[in-house]
Amino acid sequence: MADITHRGNPVHTSGDLPAVGSRAPDFRLTDAELKDVSLADFKGKKKLLNIFPSIDTPTCALSTRKFNEYAASHPEAVIIMVSADLPFAQKRFCTAENTNNVKTLSMMRDRHFAKDYGVLLLDGLYKGITARAIVVIDENDKVVYTELVPEIRQEPNYEAALATLM
Amino acid sequence: MANALFQGKPAHTSGELPKVGSKAPDFKLTAGDLSEVTLANFKGKKKLLSIAHSLDTGVCAASTKKFNDFAKNRSDVVVLVVTADLPFAQVRFCTGEGLKNVVTLSMMRDRHFAKDYGVLLTDTPIAGLCARSTLVLDENDKVLYTQLGPELTVEPDYDKAFAVLK
Repeated sequence: MADITHRGNPVHTSGDLPAVGSRAPDFRLTDAELKDVSLADFKGKKKLLNIFPSIDTPTCALSTRKFNEYAASHPEAVIIMVSADLPFAQKRFCTAENTNNVKTLSMMRDRHFAKDYGVLLLDGLYKGITARAIVVIDENDKVVYTELVPEIRQEPNYEAALATLM
Repeated sequence: MANALFQGKPAHTSGELPKVGSKAPDFKLTAGDLSEVTLANFKGKKKLLSIAHSLDTGVCAASTKKFNDFAKNRSDVVVLVVTADLPFAQVRFCTGEGLKNVVTLSMMRDRHFAKDYGVLLTDTPIAGLCARSTLVLDENDKVLYTQLGPELTVEPDYDKAFAVLK
């Protein structure tokens, strides 16, 4: 369990992010076409997971645009947005904003991903969805970088995360 | 478990809708301002529950507009639109469409509502979301009318539901 804040109020996550150096937990999430996707679908590629509460909120939208810019010139890495938004909302956003270089994955079917990655919020206004976090995973599914953003409304540290993909 | 159809193929729910004549199960859902709402919050009013999979899909959007029109002239009835969309998406949809006469409620925190009302889809591409259903409850929360599907991708039978509320 980790302590962070949301709008300055203390909130808690269900667990801890996977440790750097450990093997990333497998997951099953749902893509924009309603297909189930697992970590193995991205085998052999570097992955950046941008985990956030909702694509329909400003900071998450901002970070999606930011990562989309990076992804446009780095096809060797897979940049994945993970949230509890339904795939319909994720798709609507990416179509409207033309952020087609990032992949969106939804927890529409369950919250296993949130629990396995330790990012499920247990209290506060966002109880039941996720904290804001970044996890970078290498070609062999080893965790090489993580950030749990200490205040949910803040943006993640883009430079530090993207540097680990270089 | 109930049977329905999704795009002509068999679809199954986790249980059965509450029986006509029974007392509607209580629920805890999340409103547009992220506050938690229960059935008791609407005490003394007739309720029309429009349960759908996502307001970001065509049929659910159409039925929400239809129910919003109905609710305009009925201060004795509250229309509750329940989906697994996050509240951010529900608010975006209703604001964008100018819908002010329905109350949207989200299952963002868990799927207890879907299980307790027997509408959680256990298969189809939208497994994990709700089967399209309509319920009418009286002032004392007694179930007066229910409809599930039968085809989840078509609009509910508005006239029958409205007739119960005459």
